Amino acid sequence: MSAFRTIDELEVALQAADYLPDRGLSTALFLSLALEKPLLLEGEAGVGKTEAAKSLAVATGSRLIRLQCYEGLDVAHAVYEWNYPRQLLHIRAAQEGTVSEDELFGPEFLIRRPLLEAIDSDEPVVLLIDEIDRADEEFEAFLLEVLSDFQITIPELGTIRARRKPAVILTSNRTRELHDALKRRALFHWIGHPSIDREIEIVKIRIPGVSERLAAEAAAFVRELRGLDLAKPPGVAETIDWTMALNALGKQEIDADVVEQTLGSVLKYREDIEAVRDETLAQLVDTARATAAR
Amino acid sequence: MADAVVRHVVTFGRVLREVGLEVGPGRVADALRGLDTVDLTRQEDVYFTLRQTLVARQDELDLFDRAFRAWFLRAPVLPPVRTTDRPAEQQKIGESLSDASSGEQDEEMGDPLELGASGHELLRDKDFAEMTPDEYRRVRRLIAAIAGSRPLRASRRRRSHPRGDRLDMRRLIRASLRTGGDPVDRPYRARKEVPRKLVVLCDVSGSMDAYARALVLFLHAAVGSGPGVEAFAFGTRLSRLTPELGTRDPEAALEKCTEAVTDWGSGTRIGASLKEFNDLYGKRALSRGAVVVIVSDGWERQDPELVGREMARLARAAYAVVWVNPLKGNPDYQPLAGGMRAALPYIDRFLTGHNLRSLEELAAVLAGIERRHAA
Repeated sequence: MSAFRTIDELEVALQAADYLPDRGLSTALFLSLALEKPLLLEGEAGVGKTEAAKSLAVATGSRLIRLQCYEGLDVAHAVYEWNYPRQLLHIRAAQEGTVSEDELFGPEFLIRRPLLEAIDSDEPVVLLIDEIDRADEEFEAFLLEVLSDFQITIPELGTIRARRKPAVILTSNRTRELHDALKRRALFHWIGHPSIDREIEIVKIRIPGVSERLAAEAAAFVRELRGLDLAKPPGVAETIDWTMALNALGKQEIDADVVEQTLGSVLKYREDIEAVRDETLAQLVDTARATAAR
Repeated sequence: MADAVVRHVVTFGRVLREVGLEVGPGRVADALRGLDTVDLTRQEDVYFTLRQTLVARQDELDLFDRAFRAWFLRAPVLPPVRTTDRPAEQQKIGESLSDASSGEQDEEMGDPLELGASGHELLRDKDFAEMTPDEYRRVRRLIAAIAGSRPLRASRRRRSHPRGDRLDMRRLIRASLRTGGDPVDRPYRARKEVPRKLVVLCDVSGSMDAYARALVLFLHAAVGSGPGVEAFAFGTRLSRLTPELGTRDPEAALEKCTEAVTDWGSGTRIGASLKEFNDLYGKRALSRGAVVVIVSDGWERQDPELVGREMARLARAAYAVVWVNPLKGNPDYQPLAGGMRAALPYIDRFLTGHNLRSLEELAAVLAGIERRHAA
């Protein structure tokens, strides 16, 4: 059961972990703890999905266990694997006939991967299953099983049950639609880009000592970029990186020249960078500065 | 919890189901449990609690918001925006549909696969545009059979296989126990092969009218061949057809396609449609690693340059791009249409698609396609 009685309490703890969630995300995290249900976070890249799980771990004093998904991810890399080289060496080192199968497939030779770690942990755990949409559907089905029973069966060792249910955060970039059964099992929250005021707050909290003006102008400029038709609109992570770069250059405000030089840390595609060159760029800078001045 | 709240939420669940959201009893129970833990006087918290427990997809958020406003905030509801149909075009398709479905019974009697050698051969080379309704009915099932073949890719998952390429360590260790640690027997595992993603973009504009029906049948069968197939129709804009093609009956699918693609039979904007695809679906990596088949005559009315640009984006993400152009079946054809010329550098295979034989060729290419050597 959750250590937080209200959403406000959780928000305070998240802020103490340098994370500024909006009310929707705090509600989602709170409900996930209170109802003991996995939370599926979707949203554009860079809106802070992974960050949310990390901060939740800090806020709840839990250990963060992360499973990064990719195409072809299988049980051996997600749950457990036997340490074959050690097993072979062990057989060789022992007297012939003295090694039993039970000994060979015992805990000593087990390599524990994230899912098993999370299920078999005595401390509280936040399990982050990152980019679940990249794993293939067979793995998703397997994961669904784990998330409904919170138990894992290893043929040689038997069934391991979670003594305490981990908090589970799944993230997806929506490269494909997830299975309905998995969605039914989880709470769902869509994270959009933050409001400009919140983004300024986030930048300030992540970059200590940054000037108010620079944070505001950078956030406003990124916001203008998001309004354009870009292949990859910048996320909060890009705003932070970029402001950090500007700050490191000793800038107190933005101008067309410095934006042009540092655009590479905001936009990651050549077409996107070309699309905002020259007049467009000067115009965007003007608009952003006007917005920030307000 | 107060009965009034429970009633309210249960009814709201029903409202959501009526507007098309999948809200089962489990979700409603979650919503109630969730509301139990938050401050009911804070509207924002109630809103998010209901949204996060009752909605599972981003594209349903809009509907939910509308229903929430109407139900809890008592705001006037705007009816969902419906795209306007073009009666004249609809009529045209409607006619051809009834053509195709009348006389259904006698057609079902004879298997089109047993047309007899000569009849079959004749039909195989006949241009779809020149077929009589009767001939067209005969080739329908052949089209479906052709569309079934899918390109494969090696999955990263493995299973036991006597001629596999990787040792099955678990079994090997067990076997070695009996031989004092010497791996005498060597069990192997091999990669499984799974169908590669297939994305079909079909031009249904006026210039393609004659071929559209056959190609929609082809699309329908492709979607039915298993998971990982996505179909889109485009004309002046793009429309995703996969859901419409998911039904069993090709005729019904045709009808639904007609509804979905409101610009059926009007002009073409290939570049803009490709851009829409890249923006909306390419970003979600639908095209990454996929075999993309574009069925179009390449008649871009607006901006050939845009076609080239968007083809480049598409080709970068895709495993291979196949362009099927029914006009190419004409011996005098040269790919001079502006859009076609701009697209050519990014195409791996350029095929026709004007008759059965060419569809067979397409299927063979799809089954064995290799990635292009150079971009």
